[in-house]
Amino acid sequence: MCFKNLPVEFDASGKARLREGVSSPYALTGAGQKSFVRGAKSVGSAVAPPKLREWNIDPVTRVAGALAVHTVLDLQSRTAVEAHSMAMLFRGYEIILQGRDPRDAIDISSRACGVCGGVHSTVSSLAIEMAFGITPPPLGVLVRNLGEVAEMFYDHPLHLGLLAGPDYSTAIVSVTNPELVERAARTPAPHSDVHGFKTVKDIMDGFNPLEGSIYLEALEHTRVARVMCALMYGKFPHPSTLVPGGVSTTVSTSTFNEYYGHLGRMFDYAKKLAGIWDDICDFFLEANPAYAQVGARQSNLIQTGIWDNPAVYDATYKNMDVWGDARYSSPGVIVDGKLVTTKLTQVNMGVEEFIEHSFYDDWTKSAPPRFTTDMLGNPLSPYHAWNKVTIPRAEGRSFKEKYSWDTAPRWDRLSMETGVYGRMWTTALAKTLPSNPYLEATGSGLRITMPRNELPEMELHWETPAILNAFERNRARAYGVAFTAAIGMICLDQAFQYWRKGETAVSTPYTVPRDERVSVGMWEAGRGFLTHHLHMDKGKLINYQINTPSTWNASPRDPFGTPGPYEEAIIGTPILESLPDEEIKGIDVLRAIRSFDPCMPCTTHMDTGHGIITREVNSCSCTLE
Amino acid sequence: MVAYTKLPPNHEHSSLTQKPIITDGLDPLAPIALRSRKRARRPESVLSGPLEKVYLIWIVGGSCDGCTVAVSGATHPRVEDLLRGNIPGLPRIDIIHTVLSVESGPEWVANLRMAANGELDAPYIVAWEGSVMDERQSGEYGYWMGLGEDEDGRPITSLEWLDRLAPGAAAIIAVGTCATWGGIPAAKGNPTNSMGVMDHLGKDYRSALGLPVINVPGCAPVGDNIIETAAAALMFLAGLAPLPEFDELGRPAWLFTETVHRHCPRAGYYEEGVFAHEYGDKECLVELGCWGPVVQCNIAERGGVDGHGGCMNMGGICIGCTMPGFPDKFSPIYERAPGALLSTNTNRVVGGFIRRMRQLSQRDKMRSKRWEGSEELPSGWGRYKTQPVGAERGIHRVYSWRQHAKEGR
Repeated sequence: MCFKNLPVEFDASGKARLREGVSSPYALTGAGQKSFVRGAKSVGSAVAPPKLREWNIDPVTRVAGALAVHTVLDLQSRTAVEAHSMAMLFRGYEIILQGRDPRDAIDISSRACGVCGGVHSTVSSLAIEMAFGITPPPLGVLVRNLGEVAEMFYDHPLHLGLLAGPDYSTAIVSVTNPELVERAARTPAPHSDVHGFKTVKDIMDGFNPLEGSIYLEALEHTRVARVMCALMYGKFPHPSTLVPGGVSTTVSTSTFNEYYGHLGRMFDYAKKLAGIWDDICDFFLEANPAYAQVGARQSNLIQTGIWDNPAVYDATYKNMDVWGDARYSSPGVIVDGKLVTTKLTQVNMGVEEFIEHSFYDDWTKSAPPRFTTDMLGNPLSPYHAWNKVTIPRAEGRSFKEKYSWDTAPRWDRLSMETGVYGRMWTTALAKTLPSNPYLEATGSGLRITMPRNELPEMELHWETPAILNAFERNRARAYGVAFTAAIGMICLDQAFQYWRKGETAVSTPYTVPRDERVSVGMWEAGRGFLTHHLHMDKGKLINYQINTPSTWNASPRDPFGTPGPYEEAIIGTPILESLPDEEIKGIDVLRAIRSFDPCMPCTTHMDTGHGIITREVNSCSCTLE
Repeated sequence: MVAYTKLPPNHEHSSLTQKPIITDGLDPLAPIALRSRKRARRPESVLSGPLEKVYLIWIVGGSCDGCTVAVSGATHPRVEDLLRGNIPGLPRIDIIHTVLSVESGPEWVANLRMAANGELDAPYIVAWEGSVMDERQSGEYGYWMGLGEDEDGRPITSLEWLDRLAPGAAAIIAVGTCATWGGIPAAKGNPTNSMGVMDHLGKDYRSALGLPVINVPGCAPVGDNIIETAAAALMFLAGLAPLPEFDELGRPAWLFTETVHRHCPRAGYYEEGVFAHEYGDKECLVELGCWGPVVQCNIAERGGVDGHGGCMNMGGICIGCTMPGFPDKFSPIYERAPGALLSTNTNRVVGGFIRRMRQLSQRDKMRSKRWEGSEELPSGWGRYKTQPVGAERGIHRVYSWRQHAKEGR
């Protein structure tokens, strides 16, 4: 029984159905889920009256895309006491997709996000091949996997080195916490034999923006990663070789050989990053255990899984749970640190999207839902993506009412976050990895073997954290490079095998069906969860819905009053700067936000509808004139 | 006339004290416009022209950040070399960019306000990424794209910043197909009435240096195309190089004059009338929907990243992403262009004949003089007898006689 809040139960054969006797199963009633309560300080219990400072961080920089966060700091208790996460951009991609040839979605939806260069085209191909009823050949699946491996090599270092890294740099910490820099200079770095930095301060120097060696090395490694992407995808961002039923990459002998050469360079970099971030995280957490409360929230995570096993993947909805479980990174949902499901159909059926605090109108009021069940008879909410018809309504911002272009996705009505750490977490707990020399799930963590390069072969251990906070997110992302490299090796080994066997086809022929089809692509971006829900008829798209990782992470409050993950992570974050009240920089709040690796471009336009929308919006501007 | 966002009438003015803005230029989280003043000049910059530094204000409209990603991967020159002032003769770039800036929120916005008020201590270039979304359509109090706010809490749209910064900018570079021509947010059915920067600023717009909008199209552009154009503009500003040549659409002429097909590694297959039938085939992609023969782009010779990849190079069809007609005039994307029916079939006939002639010649040229007259190749890999017989032998003799006639042998 994975659902606690939705009235969905399972019969003896495991088939889902609505619990009997519930008159309106998806009514928006019930109280908000209890927010995570931190150990160190409880919010609002300060003896002295609060001394509040409002801080509207618009824009939040060193994140991708347009994010603003409104927060209130209590200088008396030295805690952030309020937060509103605001997606600032709307473009209307899904409206543009209406009525087009479904295949166009591969290239058009790709442009939703230039940060996660290829994930949208990939997930779009997945949705299309499910709709068309075609299965890509093994090498096509593997080329896709390898392209996505390369993309993570670009994504994680960019975040660790250029976006989050500077928050832990000497340049910034010497202003906010000079005592920590002094302490760092006296603290030898435990992993200096791996990364070469003698003290923790040397690491912090490396994080200095534009000057530090870690910053510059990260940028250079993203370029190696992009070359690897270009080998598989032609272009980065926005790949040019993803097609329905596989890829159009012309694979030659050099393709995998060159890729292998570049992958080798990542082994040492993965070892170094793990050492650097272990040292920096442990240093902060030891210097002041209250850092464990920065960006902390309950460990609720949702993942869709990524990197298909070519021997199992068949692109059908019927077998989705089987090929989902065979993925090298497991799908699943974690509630309070416990894995409650790994089945993709259950992940899919539990998702609802709410717009109470978003600049949209409620579509459920105008028409009955298109689908009450999925293709297998599992019940679906009227707020499910296949039923969603979003009606954008730009209006003035009010934190009591509407304040974001982002919607509020919830699973089983719970606020969920997603990320590379989530995918490592589900993989560690699910233990469905096939036996291989590089990666082992232990049930409580991952054992990753990084082959030798300049540095000797090393075994890295990542353990699921007891408390999910800003530091653990970053630490896991650093280990995520090794995790990804291990999967890269698994896939490359297989690609060489198929290449040797002469199974060199990379795509499957198809015809565009003329009848009605419904499908879903489930995959992951660098930051986790990603779905495209497709509904087509007569060879044209009727509805196309995109749900992205930062849609989850950046979400505003839901109808039950539960804040989204950024908001939860900020509320209660302590201010640990050693500065007088009037000079507070708010760096710990920024560390909390950035630890999610926010990526806003595709968060903010998963909006669909029919011609109505344009008219409604026009009527706004008519009023204006 | 653009309508700017207003404060809603029911806006509750916050009674809370605002967190004060950092104005100490030595603080790393202060606006770069303040930090930059405190930064010492490089004593060793002998080659520097009149300009020590330039501010680059990179703002986005309806954008996916893909152009930012593309430029950060560029290698000619590398972005960090420009930002660190490492290239002799070029001014250092102090960048104001949401993804790369150190400062956040009000401190970040302060840079833009100073630029608009003419308070910066060096010229600024505006790079605009993403479509210009028509904020007249977003209602009186709403926004399609908000970027910072005024002192009274009024959200400012990124478009308002463009309007405020355009008159004083040394140059405006529209980066990517959204910014140049409107791109995908401007495709059929779009609710935001998106357009390109020139569409918004108009034909008569001139920057403070007298330049119309410079356009670097592509979705996303090859990173090197963006940074090379910026570097060329900087060399001009520094008094080192002449103004680079731009075509009638404001594109760098040396990058976008040729069609991508002319430099395509598969163009030879087209010439010989051999076409790919399945995704992954190595031949010319035109019958799979490639628009390369009519699209102005240089990715085939420049590669996608650091000289590697490229769309057709790796097997991807050209979808026309650098062109003003993208995407609607290139859809449905995976269908063959109607005109290709005539051109490919013509080439099947003509090119097919030429291909066979070439193969004939090739068979002769792949044998050394020494091997002439021998039944077999001297290579252990050789499996077939390769000595030409009959008519082919005669043709080679005549060909050789004709080829060497003028050498007098």
